[in-house]
Order: sequence, then C-alpha cells, then structure tokens
Amino acid sequence: MGEQNILKVNPLPTLTWNHLMLNFANMPLEEKAQVKADIPAEFNGIETGMGGEFVSYVESHAGSVQLIRAGKGEDLGVIRDDNAGASAEVILIDAAEDSRVTFYSHVSGTKANGTQATRLVKVIAAARAQVTVIQSQTAGNDTMIGDDFGAIIGDEAGVHLIQVQLGGKAAFAGGCAALKGYKAGFTEETIYFGDESRRLDFSYVTRHTGKKTTTSMLASGALFGNSDKVYRGSMAFIHGCSRSKGREAENVLLFSPTARNRSIPLILCDEEDVDGQHAASIGKINKELMYYLQSRGLTESQARQLAVESRFNPVIDEIPDEAVRQEIHAYLERRMNLD
Amino acid sequence: MSEELLRVENLHADVEEKEILKGINLVVNKGETHVLMGPNGAGKSTLDNCIMGNPEYKVTEGKILFKGEDITKQKADARARKGIFLSFQAPQEVPGVTMEDFLRVCKKNLTGENIRYFAFHKELAATMKALDMDDSYASRYLNVGFSGGEKKKAEIVQMLTLNPAFAMLDETDSGLDVDAVRVVSEGIRRFKTDENSLLIITHNTKILEDLKVDFVHVLYDGKIIRTGGPELVDYINENGFAELIREGE
Amino acid sequence: MPSLSGKVNETVEDQRPEIQGVNSSIYDFRYETHASFETDAGLTPEIVEQISKEKNDPDWMREFRLKSLEIYQKTPVPNWGPPLDGLNMDQIITYVRPDTPMRGKWSEVPDDIKNTFERLGIPDAEQKSLAGVGAQYDSEVVYHNVKDEVARQGVIYTDMESALRGPYADLVKEKFMHLVPPTDHKFAALHGAVWSGGSFVYVPAGVHVDIPLQSYFRLNAAGAGQFEHTLIIVEPGAYLHFIEGCSAPKYNVANLHAGCVELYVGKGARLRYSTIENWSKNMYNLNTKRALVEDDGIMEWVSGSFGSHISYLYPMTILKGNNSHMDFTGITFAGKTQALDTGAKVVHNGKNTSSHISTKSISKDGGICVYRSEVIIGKDAIGAKSSVNCDSLMLDSKSRSDTIPAMDVRNADSDVGHEAKIGRISDEAIFYLMSRGLSEEDARAMIVSGFAEPVAKELPLEYAVEMNNLIKLEMDGSTF
Repeated sequence: MGEQNILKVNPLPTLTWNHLMLNFANMPLEEKAQVKADIPAEFNGIETGMGGEFVSYVESHAGSVQLIRAGKGEDLGVIRDDNAGASAEVILIDAAEDSRVTFYSHVSGTKANGTQATRLVKVIAAARAQVTVIQSQTAGNDTMIGDDFGAIIGDEAGVHLIQVQLGGKAAFAGGCAALKGYKAGFTEETIYFGDESRRLDFSYVTRHTGKKTTTSMLASGALFGNSDKVYRGSMAFIHGCSRSKGREAENVLLFSPTARNRSIPLILCDEEDVDGQHAASIGKINKELMYYLQSRGLTESQARQLAVESRFNPVIDEIPDEAVRQEIHAYLERRMNLD
Repeated sequence: MSEELLRVENLHADVEEKEILKGINLVVNKGETHVLMGPNGAGKSTLDNCIMGNPEYKVTEGKILFKGEDITKQKADARARKGIFLSFQAPQEVPGVTMEDFLRVCKKNLTGENIRYFAFHKELAATMKALDMDDSYASRYLNVGFSGGEKKKAEIVQMLTLNPAFAMLDETDSGLDVDAVRVVSEGIRRFKTDENSLLIITHNTKILEDLKVDFVHVLYDGKIIRTGGPELVDYINENGFAELIREGE
Repeated sequence: MPSLSGKVNETVEDQRPEIQGVNSSIYDFRYETHASFETDAGLTPEIVEQISKEKNDPDWMREFRLKSLEIYQKTPVPNWGPPLDGLNMDQIITYVRPDTPMRGKWSEVPDDIKNTFERLGIPDAEQKSLAGVGAQYDSEVVYHNVKDEVARQGVIYTDMESALRGPYADLVKEKFMHLVPPTDHKFAALHGAVWSGGSFVYVPAGVHVDIPLQSYFRLNAAGAGQFEHTLIIVEPGAYLHFIEGCSAPKYNVANLHAGCVELYVGKGARLRYSTIENWSKNMYNLNTKRALVEDDGIMEWVSGSFGSHISYLYPMTILKGNNSHMDFTGITFAGKTQALDTGAKVVHNGKNTSSHISTKSISKDGGICVYRSEVIIGKDAIGAKSSVNCDSLMLDSKSRSDTIPAMDVRNADSDVGHEAKIGRISDEAIFYLMSRGLSEEDARAMIVSGFAEPVAKELPLEYAVEMNNLIKLEMDGSTF
C-alpha cells in the first residue's frame, strides 16, 4: 500500500457544533501517480455529495472517463459498468431531451482489484430525460469504498439514485441533485449494512431552485458489531423554488451494543411556498415483530435477517441483474449469520 | 316570496387553467331550497367554491350577484359577512384553535356584537347535542383528528351557530352512517326558515327526505342541463343521469 | 397582569398604527443610567480584578475569574451559527453597578429603577401570583424578596453575591460553573470572568413550592453586557417552578447578554424552568443553560424566544440518573433583523431515561430561525427513549428557516425518533377561515396563534396571555 492522502469529504452544507464531528469526514485514499481524465466542460462544476476534494481526487486518478450520451428521445436501456472495482473511475451521463438510460455498477468482494474502489458519476438530465444510476458494493474488509454522485436536473426530468452499501473496510458515499428545471424530480434510495468495524459515512444534498420540484430521499440500514455510521441528508429550498416538495426519511436498526449511529437530517429553507418534511427512526428491532416471527418457527437470527431483508429487498429488487441480486442476498445471509 | 337572494349569470370558471364551469345561470330566491345533482366531475363543487370566493377558482366570465350586489370580485370573508356559508366537503384542520373559540370569534365578527361567553357556551352545547355530537368536541382543536362524520356534523354546527342567509352544503351527507344522516337532516330542517335559502349538493337523496325541495338542477360538463321540481330527484334515483345527459346533448 | 411587559394590553392599542413588523417598543422606554461604578469598555485582567474587588469576591472567585479570562482569550468564536461580527467585545461594558444596594422592599428601591419594574408589572405580579421575586437592573440585583410562608419551608431565594458569603457558601463554591465550565465555549469563559448578579435558589428535600418564583432581568445601560448567574438546587423529592423574564430598551449600539443557568434536579425532584425572552433587537443573546437530573428526576423547559438581534440558545439536560426525564417545549419567532438560533441538547446517560423535545418556529419579514439540537444516547443508557418534533412556519419568502438536528446513538437498546416539518400557512386553511367571515390577516393570525398554542398551554395563564400579545405584535397588529 502506498502513501495515504487524507481527504475532507461529505461536507455538511451548513456547520454545527464541532464536537459532534459531523461537519465533514476524513477519508484516507492512496496517493498514487496522477493520471488525469479529460472532463468535458459541461460536466465541470457539478456539485456532488462528497464534495470537491473527492471529485478532484477521482478525476485526477481515473485516467479515462466513461461517457454515456443518450440522444434526443433515445432509450439506451440498461448499461452495465464493466470497469467496476477500479481504483478510480469517472462516469459521465449526458441525457438529452426525452431520453432514458439506466446505469448500474457493482463492486463485489472478488471484483475489487486493489485496496480501494472509488466511483464518481455525474449526470446532466435535460428536459423530460429519465436517468437511473445504481451503485452497489459488497466489497471485502480490506477495501476502501468511495461512491459519489452529482446531477443537474432539467424541466420535468427525473433522476433516480440507488446506493447499496454493504461491504468494505469503510464506505463513503454521497449524492447531490441540483433541481433546476420546472417540475424536476429526484429520488434517492440508500441501504447500508454495517458489521465488524466497518465505517459508513454518507452525505446527500438536494438543492431546489426550479418551481414545483420534488425530492424523496430514503435511507434504511442495519448496524451490527462495532460498526459506526454517519448519515447526513440535507434538503435546501432556495428562494424562488415555489411549490416544491421534499421528503426525507431514515430508518436504522441497531443490533449491537457497540455499534454507533449518527444522523443529521437538515432542512434549509428560504422560500415560503414549500413543503418539506423529514423523519428519522433509530433503535432496536420491534419486539412484537420478533416474537411474531419466532412464533412461526424462525430462530432469532432468522427473524433478524428477515426483518433486515424486508427493508432492503425493495431496493435490491431494483438492481437489473439477477446474478448481482443473488450475490447480495448470499452476502447478507453470510454476514448476518456470523454473530 | 320571490325576493331574489343569489343570481349567477353566465358563469365561466377555471381551476388550474382548465375550464370547469361553462356558462352557469342560476337564481335562488329567499326561502327556497335548491338541489344540485350531477355525475362526478360535473363542476358542482366548483360552483359552490366560486360562489364562496375560493381564490383557487378563477372566474373568467360572467358574474355572481348576492342581494343585488355584484360580489364576483369580493373576498371570501366579505361574502361570509353578507350571509353566504359553505359546508365544506373536506373541512380544514386548524390546530391550536378550539372549535368553541373559533365560532365565538366568527360570530362576533359576523354580528358585530359582543358575545357573552357563558350564553354562547350553553347555546353551542345545545346545538351539538341536537346533532348527537359529544360536547367535548367544542374544546377540541377545530376539526383536528375528527372523523369524517364528525367533521361533517361540525360543519352543520357551524351553520346553525352562524345562521347565514344562504347556505351551500357540499356533499355534507357523504361519509355519514344512516343515523348520522338522519341527525344532520334534522339539523338542516331546524335551520331552514322562510328567511333563508339552501343549495344542496348530494348524491344521496336520503338527506332530502324531510326537506321541502323547490328546485333540482342537473349539472353536467360545466352546464346546467336540466332544471325541475322535486320529482326530478326520484327520476334520477331510478334512471341515473345517462338519459338526461343524452337529451342534453 | 404580571410579568414581562406589564401594561401590554393598554399599550398595544395605542401603538398599533406605528407597528411595523417586529416591535418591542413597549419595552423600549429607558431612564438615564446613574451608575455608581462602571468599568471601562473592553476586557483586560485589570478590569476583571477591578470587578472582583468591587464585588468583594472571595479569593477563589477572583482566581476563577482570572483563569476564565485566560480561557476566554484562547478560545475562538464559534465557526457555526449566526454571525457575531457586530459584537465588539472591546466596546461592551462588562460591569455596570446600579446606584443602589439590594433592597427587600420596593419602597426602598430608587424611583427610576422602581418605575422601570412597575412599568413591567413586576411588583404587581409579585403580590398576585408569585412566591418570590428577584429583579436585576443592569449588572446587579436591586430587589429580592420571598414570601414568608415559602421562606419558612426553608426555601432560599437570594442574589448570587449574598449566596457566595452566606450559609450556603460551600455549596455554591462546589456547584458554581460545575455544569457549565468556562472551557465549554468562549462565552461561558467570558461569563466566568465577568459574571455579576443573578439568583441562587435552594429548595430543601421534599418541599413543594406551590407557586412560581420569578427573576426578571432588565438591561438598561447602553452598550453594556449582562452576565447574571442563576444557580438552582432542587433537593430530592422537591418541586419548583422558576420563571425568568428578560427585556431591554433599544439602543443603537450592541448589547450583550451572556448569562449562565445551572440547575441541579435531585432524586425524584421536579423542576420547571420557564423563560419568555424579549430582549431588544440590538441584543446578542449568547446564553448557556444546563440541568443535571438524578434518578427519577424530571426537568421541564418552557422557552419562548422573541427578542434579540442574534440568539444562541440551547438549554441542555444531562439525564444522569436512571428513569430521569426531560421535556422541552419551545417557540421562536424571528422578524426583521433577527437571527435566532435556538434548540435544545440532551444527553442520556442513565438507564430508562426519556426525553421529548417539541419546538415551533415562525419566520417573518426577513427573520431567520434556526432549530439546532443534539440528542446523545450514551453507551449505558439502556432503554433510553427520545423523540423530537419540530415545526417551522414560513410567513413570507424574505425569511429563512433551517433545521439542524443531530442524533448520536451509542447503544442498541434505545429508541430515537425525529420528525420535522417546514412549510407555509396553506391557502386552503386561509380560505376556510375566510369563508367563516375572518379577514385574511385575522385568518393568518389565528392560524399562527394556534400554531403557538402547544407552547402557550405550558405557561401559567398570565404568561400565555403575554406570549400571545407578543405574537400579535409581531403579526402586524391584527385585530383577532
């Protein structure tokens, strides 16, 4: 392993008490020879969830970019990331008016070919385009994961981000959506699994500037072992984004007395005519549910697994690859039977 | 007994830039009871809301006169003070303001008189009792956590308390069980005198059984396609709207 | 009508035509300052020594002050929260001693000071509905009295200076800035260096004080700071309701309030601490409040923030004892030129502890409300439960409202819930009320006061009326 580079990532869009250690995270990445990727000008300056330091790291180490262009009205179907698991990769998606594209990228324990896998996806969705991006990983315990995302969303366009963060030594992930167009929409679903001493650190930001824009952000996770998770979810309603609506919710199940969960869901608002709500629920598994499942003959461990999977499955089911879905189920089953 | 109360002339109205009312003409005289029927989406609630002055409903043509005065451009509170009342299909919840405090403020506002606390409390309790409504609702926040049926009854309590000259009931009977319909119907009858008028939107003619109905209007696609007497209610009960619509076209 | 504004009801009518959005002019009368002693502006060890000497501090306190000053000078201003650029410490006069010793009878208080408190309705309220009153004018307490029957139960209610030398001197030394050490943050350090005035309350075990005690803080001198210290000890099984009110006239220079409140709630004891704060709009209100709760104890906060230019206010509760409980109910109303950063903190350490935070905020006319909180569930807080509920109301698009709640959960056998909502008054709700004859302004005012009702409900009647008056003032003189 080479030199380490400590990056400041996942910045909170506004600061709060420093002692909480939530204003940003420190992420160690390998200091390698830089191989700069050529980024088309229109993709410069797109804000991401993990922030500028991470973006310039990945862009200056990726070497090349995967550029996906969907022409006007074109439906590219599902595109699989064949380069997943690289130390640094940049994917740029330019979706023209009325186009559709789904991009998915999965890093598995066997596919990560080094001690780190970082992915940066930037999206420009023009009017009425529909873009789905899925980043999943079941990386091994020696891998540092960084999954970043940023999108600019135009009139009546919709962008859907799914992040499935289940493995790695540590996983840092984020997403940012700039809802610029009239009726632009953004949905984000994240599931995460922490066990052993995994560190999970997330930051999602939506910036509503267009009128009648909508967002929905849902995160669901389960923490075992000594895992430590931070979730930042921020909705910013910016003056002029009248009739916009945002919903954010996080549900965390804690299974271990030594796991730690930190959550900070923000609403920043300087527009009157909006409707924003967030909710968080953090705690132990519902005892009645456990009892009910056990009364049907499930062991405690099976019941726990069922409770976790029932929350994860709707998200896992959106991965357009049966083999990957199977692998994820097998991974979760194996990990949850460890303790 | 033909003193004119409400006159709607060639009323056109848009909701979210879509034309819903396409030329309504309607006259309601003092003491009359009118019933408005028609299939879903015909524009019945739109007409009520236009008469009440809901700013979400834009009148694009025509006018509304009340007691001879053009009120088309007036705000809802001005219309309420002139004696117009709407029993809402889905009344708003207002947290933190009890029903009793609310009605006392409204009553004071409408009558311009000081309302004596104790007398008002007694009167309200009696009104609620007549509607088979527990008087604890008076000290609950307005409509907050009321069931569908309780909300509808609360609207009738408001009508009886504020005693308007012209009341519109927008599907006040929907969501009520058989007993509640009877109680509400009784409340409406108690309200009705020769001095005031009613415009009732309903699908369920049970609520009309004890009332003397003067006119029935059938609304379809933003227009009144048929006006008749109470016999039209029976006709619709038996045959539905299809035949009337065909004739209208 | 007791309490903060006193003659609000008379003056609201008179002043209505002049009201432009936020208005605190009913508090905005002032008398010339006739201080017997004033420190130079700015802060040096010499000034701190001077304060200490003037106040005849015990030695340990003088040393404490100097140590705090060192900490103050080393500690940076917060890098989060509303801007504090307008606060020039070199220009804040830290100690203004009124030209009178403390009195136990209003008739002995000098006329101009007495008139101030009479206009605020304090002596009147004392007679009618309070168990005791303390009144502070600028840096010192000018009046303290407690009803005989309460005193006979062993309840001590006195100014901090007397407490430092009285029979409870050792207890005061032990507890003073123990919960809020000067190292906590820059303004806690400042407080430690220059504090003066404030109250000491001691409620013996098992004593139930049936009617509230009140302290009223009035900052009259321009460009001054107020740094009062409140120390309350409620012994096991006892009960107290303490009410704090604050106001100041408006000057064109910045004033600073950096008070400190330390509350000790014993086993099975219950303390309710209510505040209605209406500092003038040139005030920097950087106040620190903290409570420590033992087994089965209950801490209740009711907090209304209406005044000040900038506020940083997050009453904190440490649920140390098993089965201890905390309730926080707060409302913040920010209008023109105001940035009110308020919220609460709670740390669960004991088993089966519970907390509930419920806040409302209203932003209007360019005002900024920030709800900021932290809920920490410690490793040993098995069975802890916490729920947070915050509602923000935006009254126009010039204003701003942010919600910044942090949760840190460190054990699996706990439940933490959080819900927040932000939005405006719905057009449908306004139309509904207008259809019953209310004007649009009255409809809005009614919805806003309904929004604040859950807080008003927690206050004694007179204070609830007072709060509603403040809301009405802020709502541009509506007639409802």
